[in-house]
Amino acid sequence: MLDPAVLARLAGLRLRVRATVEGVLTGLHRSPHHGQSVEFSEHKEYAPGDELRHVDWKVFGKSDKYYVKRFEQETNLRAWLVVDSSGSMGYRGQDDRLTKLEYACTLAGTLAHLLVRQQDAVGLAVFSGEVTGALAPRAEPSQASAVLEVLESLEAGGGTSLASAVRFLAERARRRSAIVVLSDLLDRDEKVLRLVADLRRRRHEVALFHLLDPAEIEFPFDDPTLFLSMEDDRSVEARGQDVRKGYLELLAAWLEEVRRTCGENDVDYVRVRTDQPLDEVLLPFLARRERSAA
Amino acid sequence: MSLSFLHPALLWGLLAAAIPLAIHLFFRRKPRAVRFPAIDFVMQARKETERRLRLRRLLLFVARTALLAAAALAIARPQFEATEARAAQGPAGPAATVLVLDTSASMAYRLGGRTLLDRAREDALEALVSLGPDEPASLVVCGGEGVPVADPPGFDRVALRRAIAEAPQGYGHSDLTTCVAAAARVLSDPAAAATARRRIVIATDMTASAWRLDAQPPVVASPAGPVRPEVALLDAARGERLGNRWISGLVAEPEPAAGSHGYRIGVTVSGEGVEAERDVPLTLRIGSGRDERMTLRALLELPASGSTRKALAHDFATGGPAVITVALPQDALPEDDALSLVVDVPRDVRVLVVNGAPSSVRHRDAAYFLEAALSGPASPVRVTVVDAEGFAKARLSDHDVVMALDLRAPGPKAAELVSFVEGGGGLFVAMGDDVDPDRWEAETKGLLPAPLHVVKTAAERGTPGSEGKAARLAEIDWDHPALRVFTGPAREGLESMRTWRYMLLKPATRESGSRVLARYDDGAPALVEARRGRGRVMLYASTLDPEWSDWTIRTSFLPAMQRIASWLAGSLDERRSVPGVVGAPRPIPLPAGTTIAAWIGPDGRERRGPALGVTTVTPDRPGLWQVKVRDGATGGERIDPALSFVGWPDPRESDVRRLEPAELTAWFGGEALARVASDGTAAGSRQVPLWSWLLLLAVAAFLSEGLLLV
Repeated sequence: MLDPAVLARLAGLRLRVRATVEGVLTGLHRSPHHGQSVEFSEHKEYAPGDELRHVDWKVFGKSDKYYVKRFEQETNLRAWLVVDSSGSMGYRGQDDRLTKLEYACTLAGTLAHLLVRQQDAVGLAVFSGEVTGALAPRAEPSQASAVLEVLESLEAGGGTSLASAVRFLAERARRRSAIVVLSDLLDRDEKVLRLVADLRRRRHEVALFHLLDPAEIEFPFDDPTLFLSMEDDRSVEARGQDVRKGYLELLAAWLEEVRRTCGENDVDYVRVRTDQPLDEVLLPFLARRERSAA
Repeated sequence: MSLSFLHPALLWGLLAAAIPLAIHLFFRRKPRAVRFPAIDFVMQARKETERRLRLRRLLLFVARTALLAAAALAIARPQFEATEARAAQGPAGPAATVLVLDTSASMAYRLGGRTLLDRAREDALEALVSLGPDEPASLVVCGGEGVPVADPPGFDRVALRRAIAEAPQGYGHSDLTTCVAAAARVLSDPAAAATARRRIVIATDMTASAWRLDAQPPVVASPAGPVRPEVALLDAARGERLGNRWISGLVAEPEPAAGSHGYRIGVTVSGEGVEAERDVPLTLRIGSGRDERMTLRALLELPASGSTRKALAHDFATGGPAVITVALPQDALPEDDALSLVVDVPRDVRVLVVNGAPSSVRHRDAAYFLEAALSGPASPVRVTVVDAEGFAKARLSDHDVVMALDLRAPGPKAAELVSFVEGGGGLFVAMGDDVDPDRWEAETKGLLPAPLHVVKTAAERGTPGSEGKAARLAEIDWDHPALRVFTGPAREGLESMRTWRYMLLKPATRESGSRVLARYDDGAPALVEARRGRGRVMLYASTLDPEWSDWTIRTSFLPAMQRIASWLAGSLDERRSVPGVVGAPRPIPLPAGTTIAAWIGPDGRERRGPALGVTTVTPDRPGLWQVKVRDGATGGERIDPALSFVGWPDPRESDVRRLEPAELTAWFGGEALARVASDGTAAGSRQVPLWSWLLLLAVAAFLSEGLLLV
């Protein structure tokens, strides 16, 4: 079990990612290598040592010269990891817990590692009020390290604008891609869900990891409390026990709406509590991915 | 209505009601600052619940304040006071107050485990506590005969409180009309003139017998003229109907059929306001103190209201004064469930029958019939028969009565006989052929009630028509103690008696003090009595044998002879001890040469009056009272049983029927001036306690606060 509380004690994202990858791989039990394909890249003049089966006989018939086809190994998947690094993602209800951003980075790093490992191209987009960092998708082994490097440098801050990330992906992801969004969706833009659905309409495969701290779900406040916004200067004073019932009702209605909207738009929705073991989150997700690929 | 407080100083506790406000203003807890991502939901939830929360906070504040304020107010014991009644009474202000405490016998009634007097004391003390510091007060204890006295209204609360607490339970009748008038006189005292109002507070059981509503209601003299006082009646019975059953009558009459010392004891039991009951035990006890023992137990059927009678019979072992007590099972008023009586049971009479003409033929022997009559099984008489010679040897002092039958003359015993009679002995003289009138007159010198004259023959017995010509008795003194037993058809036994011969008597002088008890139909005296010294002499003008008269075969002969013997011995004297009522002075018939030294009550305590001149005793409680006399000659003191008497409870106190409050308030001047408090709360005006409602409000506030916090 990849207990977040245990992972939280591991210093550094890389260690957490490595531990998570090993744990996940143990859980998968199957090799991720399959479904590879080869795509023509260019011709080159034949030289001794080239494989004869790559000689382009049609060109020889036209020009009597031996040219061999050069191929570029094609990736199975082009994936974008979209990580929300807004201020609200820096929240943790207890000190021994991962923040939502740390949890999201661990998930994203693990996914990057796994994808690269199976020779998929992985890209990264980080956003808060706007897209603050990006890596174009690549299938090179070094890509995982590059992604981790970016993720390690992230700090929660600023507002949330998923729209900026969607616009960024619309420009960059022209080919059909898998887009994995890791966010708490606490965007003041009420159309945030529609934006996610738009990605799906662009024929991308969209998965949404919706991260929530347990304190957000249970609202464990009783005494008079001054609640401060994590993204702007708003605040509100209330007795936790007075507003708990209303808060939980509003939260449940919103979560249900998110689930319903994702379902209607064929978005793979995964609700994640930050006290939830990571393998519990990733293994079902990866299993669904395998089934859909098959 | 105005609001007053029993403990106004405790109103400072109301400041506690400000505690919730103070906490809200000064001790509000500072909220903890928390950075929270989903603040939009918190803001929205707060917005949606704000109105409800504000209302709840307000209700909580009200509930907590009400809880503290109600508790603080309740501790101060607030009460509403009717001001409309007070307005009718004239100016407001301090009132001079006289407390009247009813301590009469009916206040011993037990209700709910306590006597009514206990409750009345409590009510009076509470009324005293409710007085303001500027209101003078006094106390009238009402529980006996006479006009009670009281001090002018003052401010010595300690003395008043002690007097109320120590007021003893009385056993007599209380005339509350007189007591209230006495209270009004106290309020007329100049010491009370400084106060604006006059008030009488009466703690009583409101029994009707204590009031005389035909008398003038109380009036207080004031500088502005006579005014009616305010009156508060504190009902110690709390409006409940009282029921009682008591022995209302007890008489004891000799009953020869019951034995030589037999008595018929008539008991009357009365009831008021109680349920009818069957097989109620009624016990008869004889004796007093340690010697008292139960001798009889009868069952009664008692009606719900009214009276019933029961006759009991008892044969005393010996003569002399005896105490009888009849008792019912104790009820709420036990003092009247037993009644005693002192009975002077006649002693045995020793009779010396002197047969002047004994006959060997029994039916011709005068003494034969007399001895048979006096020696009956139920007779108190002990007979000794002697002839003339025996009479000469007899010692007269060994006998109570000498009955001389056909005796020629006393002869040498004449002087002793005169002395015997004057010393208290009895003498009965019957005629006969041997009687010598002249010698009797010469030897006894006026001892007989009238001098003997000559024998008259009304008819010769046995001759034709003699029955019709025989003399009959007429003008019989039926009221004489010796003849009182003949009533109704029994008188026929005397009236039908026929006499053929009888002694005519010379006219008696006025000084002789003779009294004719019966005459013959020709007017000649047949039975004459006279008092000689301390003794009595009775003369029968015919014989006690069948020679001259047929009385000996008449049914009247036996009782008449027994009664005459007892009468001459002095045991039929009117010495019946009439019971006295508690509180009523009773004259004591002292024997010559004695004075009252002391009297001992039922409680065993000896009471002594002034050294000289005391001839009456006033019993202050029911039961047997004994009188100790001092002999004038020797100076010695002894209890004289013959002077013992019984004090009975006043029957007016046993009747516990109560007056309607409206009747009393109307007598005092209407509801504007008087009111009856059946809840025992204090005096002067209509007061409604509020503290219990306030405690209820506090509890409701407490529960509301708990519900609001859920």
